[in-house]
Amino acid sequence: MAASTAPTSQTHPASLPPSVFTLPQTAQLEALYTIIRDRTTSRGDFLFYSDRIIRLLVEESLNHLPVVPKIVQTPTGATYQGVGFEGKICGVSILRAGEAMEAGLREVCRSVRIGKILIQRDEETALPKLFYSKLPEDIASRYVLLLDPMLATGGSAMKAVEVLQEQGVPEERIIFINLIAAPEGLKRFCGRFPSLRVITGWIDQCLNEKSYIIPGLGDFGERRYCE
Amino acid sequence: MLAEDYSHQFFDDESQHSLESHQSKKNTLLKSHGRPPWYGENGLPICDAFVIGIAGGSASGKTHVARQIVRSLGSVPTVVILSQDSFYKRHTAEEVALAHANRFDFDHPDAIDMPMFAACLADLKACQQTNIPVYSFAEHQRLDEAKYLYGAAIIITEGIMALHHPDLRSLYDLKVFVQCDSDLMLARRIQRDVKERGRSVDGVIEQYLRYVKPAFDNFVLPTARHADIVVPGSNNAVAIDLITTHIRRQMTERARHFRKHMVSQSVGCCLNTSDGNPVSKNLIVLPQTPQLKGIYTILRDGASNRQDFIFFVDRLATFLIEKAMEHLPHRPKTVTTPIGIDCTGKELDVKNICGVSIIRSGGPLTKGLQRVLSDVAIGSLLVQSDANTGEPLLLHVMLPKCLRERHLAVDAWVFLLDAQIGTAASAFMAIRTLLDHGVQQDHIIFVTFLIARTGGVTVLQRAFPEVKIVTGAVDEGLREAWLEHYNEKGEGQSEGEGRRVWIVEPGMGQIGDRYYL
Repeated sequence: MAASTAPTSQTHPASLPPSVFTLPQTAQLEALYTIIRDRTTSRGDFLFYSDRIIRLLVEESLNHLPVVPKIVQTPTGATYQGVGFEGKICGVSILRAGEAMEAGLREVCRSVRIGKILIQRDEETALPKLFYSKLPEDIASRYVLLLDPMLATGGSAMKAVEVLQEQGVPEERIIFINLIAAPEGLKRFCGRFPSLRVITGWIDQCLNEKSYIIPGLGDFGERRYCE
Repeated sequence: MLAEDYSHQFFDDESQHSLESHQSKKNTLLKSHGRPPWYGENGLPICDAFVIGIAGGSASGKTHVARQIVRSLGSVPTVVILSQDSFYKRHTAEEVALAHANRFDFDHPDAIDMPMFAACLADLKACQQTNIPVYSFAEHQRLDEAKYLYGAAIIITEGIMALHHPDLRSLYDLKVFVQCDSDLMLARRIQRDVKERGRSVDGVIEQYLRYVKPAFDNFVLPTARHADIVVPGSNNAVAIDLITTHIRRQMTERARHFRKHMVSQSVGCCLNTSDGNPVSKNLIVLPQTPQLKGIYTILRDGASNRQDFIFFVDRLATFLIEKAMEHLPHRPKTVTTPIGIDCTGKELDVKNICGVSIIRSGGPLTKGLQRVLSDVAIGSLLVQSDANTGEPLLLHVMLPKCLRERHLAVDAWVFLLDAQIGTAASAFMAIRTLLDHGVQQDHIIFVTFLIARTGGVTVLQRAFPEVKIVTGAVDEGLREAWLEHYNEKGEGQSEGEGRRVWIVEPGMGQIGDRYYL
């Protein structure tokens, strides 16, 4: 029930699908993005500042999970009308870049279970193809935080959602967490899965002819792991 | 080198073996039972520090008098004894050569950097920080380092020229001249120089006649007429008793019982947070999202285990700091992305940024701050309440470098960290301390888990309206309670007995205890 409480950070423009939620577009958030977009930023800084954004994204996405009323007694003996968290969650990262979001996820959700999905472009068909997946057995009974930092065309994200649906996860229990999204990809993705919620930090201008996000930040996995 | 000396640095009541230790001994910071509030409810300092100037001939017994005053004051707030020796001017190469040849006149008023002396003293008198120059007698030169001083309630300066300059004299609340017969002073000199510095009687007398005696006659003795009291250089117990009685009376008049007043004044303020919107523009209450409420429920629950409490405190601290960071100024910045596209974004527009944690409950927020600003400098303050009066006492100040120097502090942004604002007594003292250092009010962001609506926050905001307060929750009540056998040792605490505390309700209990113990 409380999941319907409107999360406060909702700032989506009219043109965005209603299932898309962005972080509050503060100067400070913009500054964090400026650091990770800058090609001269060191790998250490890239790690540190992208983790800060990821934590904020996870904090925001958790607001979309249900809570139930709960009354507790404080150490001073007073009672407090609070809320308790309801429902089990797990993370699923879309390899390889999604893996970079796991540390941030676990900083906020201690010892959360994390499944993995590897999707790559099939060179013959040019379509995304599932190469590998390893998911918690009881995933069908959990809320799933699906992690992928960059949403460009939305191809691999859509494939990943299909994989989750095959495992019995209902669309409305999937929350897609993302750092940068291209409007084209968002539209496709949300058009296909309207009741899935997308939490994104920043919506960029467009995709270029090579399907790179503009201005983007380059290859997230490459910068996080290899540079 | 140790045999090098100047007339006026000799006298002390204990024997000295090196000039360095002699120097450090003359500048003394004596701490006793913490500093009670030095400001009123309006946040402004009630009074300046009490400043005493002690002049007199070399070896007349100035340092002895200063120490006797401190000794007989007994339980007093922080006292600084400041020696004129620190303020020798920076010398040219020729002057240094002269000094090494014992041909530089250190007894002349011109040897002293009077403007700096007066500026440092004025800072201390106005309850501000200052940085005292360090003079090396071994090198005959002022060093590049400086000694940071802050928070003395009583300042004693001593030196042969302490009453010489009108700028200095105007700063003193009490002017003392130590009067001693010339032959006694010379006798003390000879005895000490020969015995402790291995000098010849002839050499001592030559220096005495060349520099010391003329300086005394021309510059030192005439300043006696400025003194409020002339103290004999020996057998002066009665005079010292008169002086300390005077100081004590002055200090008592200045003391204030502060804390209770703040609490009683604050009831009936009008925060409204039911919709998460701050009423005062500088009191920022986080949006009450389901997650935030869930976290607070766990933290408030007395049955939560320690692991959970620590984890959720850390998580909340990080989130609070992220929210607090939004209040820093930003400026545009253009960068190039890895695919070669220029992109205009923003960057932080601050020169210095640091944290100051109020020990001990500010600790968990420190961790949050480090998760957000990995290399941030974090200072600390210890404020304890006096077990008898309930007054806050400032016991320890350790501030980051960017706050120790005033010209840096005016540009600095400070995250002030404490777990909760109940009576606001320690928050008040911490903010006053930062302002004393030159930090601008609107550059202070106080980050806290919890505020008591009926507590001291109203008084705090009235006194410091530009300070931003970022909190996750506002609670209804604040009530007085008695903690039995509160196991805490330190200044102001009487061991083994209970302790009067103010409890925020419903609150989170003793946050420091639950996080650390």
